[in-house]
Amino acid sequence: MSVEMNQQRGPIVAEGLVREFGEIRAVDGVDLEVAGGEVFGFLGPNGAGKSTTVRILTTLLRPTGGRASVAGFDVVDDAALVRASIGVALQDASIDPLMTGRELLHLQATLYGIGRRAGRERSNELLERVGLTEAADRLVGGYSGGMRRRLDLALALMHEPSVLFLDEPTTGLDPMSRVNLWDEVRRLNSELGTTVFLTTQYLEEADELAHRVAIIDAGRIVREGAPATLKAQVGLPTLLVDVDPGAEDRARSAMATIGEPRPTRAGRVAIGLFEGASSAADAVRALDAAGIAIHYMELNTPTLDDVFAEATGRRLEGADASADVTTGESGS
Amino acid sequence: MTSAAAGTARSDRWAQVPPWPLIRQVIHRSATSLRRIPAGIVPVVVMPVFFTVAFSGTFSGLTELPGYPTDNILNWMIPYACLQSASFAALASAFSLGRDLESGFYDRLLLAPAPRWTVPTASVLWAMIRALLPLTITLALGVIGGMTFPGGFAAVWWLAVGAFAVAALGSLWGLGVTYRIQRQSAGGLVQISLFVIMFLSVGTVPIDLQEGWLPYVARWNPVTYILDMARCGFVGTCEWSAIWPGLVAIAGGAVLLGWWAERGWRRLVP
Repeated sequence: MSVEMNQQRGPIVAEGLVREFGEIRAVDGVDLEVAGGEVFGFLGPNGAGKSTTVRILTTLLRPTGGRASVAGFDVVDDAALVRASIGVALQDASIDPLMTGRELLHLQATLYGIGRRAGRERSNELLERVGLTEAADRLVGGYSGGMRRRLDLALALMHEPSVLFLDEPTTGLDPMSRVNLWDEVRRLNSELGTTVFLTTQYLEEADELAHRVAIIDAGRIVREGAPATLKAQVGLPTLLVDVDPGAEDRARSAMATIGEPRPTRAGRVAIGLFEGASSAADAVRALDAAGIAIHYMELNTPTLDDVFAEATGRRLEGADASADVTTGESGS
Repeated sequence: MTSAAAGTARSDRWAQVPPWPLIRQVIHRSATSLRRIPAGIVPVVVMPVFFTVAFSGTFSGLTELPGYPTDNILNWMIPYACLQSASFAALASAFSLGRDLESGFYDRLLLAPAPRWTVPTASVLWAMIRALLPLTITLALGVIGGMTFPGGFAAVWWLAVGAFAVAALGSLWGLGVTYRIQRQSAGGLVQISLFVIMFLSVGTVPIDLQEGWLPYVARWNPVTYILDMARCGFVGTCEWSAIWPGLVAIAGGAVLLGWWAERGWRRLVP
């Protein structure tokens, strides 16, 4: 039986997961395994298949192929058991604006079969945890975006789930609210050992929170691993130096033993440092010895955006979505 | 066997939460929402008053026509106003569902480890409960206006059965439409269709006094038979011949519209 089979594996397992909408394959053979106690970042651009995958894993959508288990239970055969084991904070914080925070928590307690008294106690505890005790009896319609997200998180934690799904939890939040939510996710993971499946289109978020990330594009996983490992696989850190126009070739020759040249614009030299970021000082000394003036300097280490670019040929973040990835400029 | 190949029937086999608390909580939430949107109360209170006053005033002369079943226009119009208001309760369920689908709140309900059929069941039950308010108001208005009860207690009983049935059947229709469109705008379609089916029955004029194509439509319209049943105790005593066609219409409507709602539901829920 699927329940027994999956007890031996991680709390989230997907094998050849497929979801088709007519002619469109939104999820195209996704394989992944998330270990217990891990924060797993699921990264990709809009329309890549992140939310569809999450909806399958949370039993809101049926796969058209493959299989998946969450908390040891098959997402189709044992859907109610999956739902009892997971907490979900979906995109757009699905919260009724006509209810108060406390009423929503009581509703959530009932939905998960928690008794009235226990539900009240747990609600107070969660309100305290997410810093909403004072706002608890106000209508949610008057909450800020950050407050709604925190309430959504509290709702997802009502029944102390072993697996937590956060679907783009910080989209639309101001930087301060975003950082607060990150802290809360870290705390949950470290204090309670909750396995977190986090979808995001923010590279920084995945980099900050995730032990491992999977990058999805056009329904397929194109890279998977620890952020540091993935970034190291992309290549060397890039040193960018602005020099006098016409001095580019001399500058490249002076730094030839320190790094490999990379294409860039006129007036700038870019090299990939053989020995890593620590050899940037050698490059400065070499340019100085050659009598080349340095007007501007920047050291870029590979980011998850570079990982995405290397895997797909496109940028994930910012205005340089169609940038030529061969320049090696991370833009960060 | 792949997940995709597995049957849907097993999905709720391991349901962890008994259905009743979820149904109760969903109804409680709907009641709370209604209380907090004053505009939501208006149709419930104003519409029955409007129907009663407008129809009774406009059509009061009908009672003088030969063959009109009653000489008291309120006895004819109040049951129609009650059923029309019940259809508004069904409409409110459809709008509420559309709002929850658009906002994503419905996902929260579907993520509960309770049997999922409890969610649409709660919507139908809420429509029926909501129909109680206009039913009470309209009846009270009728009594104040001089309505009589020749059928005695049976008059109120069969009227209540008719009103609850219209609320339930109307909400099944509304759920089916809204599950397919998955937007609040589905409410517009539900509103028009409910209004038309109510209007093209024997709401204002008895079938024998209707002319042209109207009596043909009214004869095929199940609402006609539900209305005849709901009115039985107000135009005389309740005879079985007036009741059974209404019950058959309700049962047939429940099967057909239940199937319609279930098919729509399956588009939404795996």
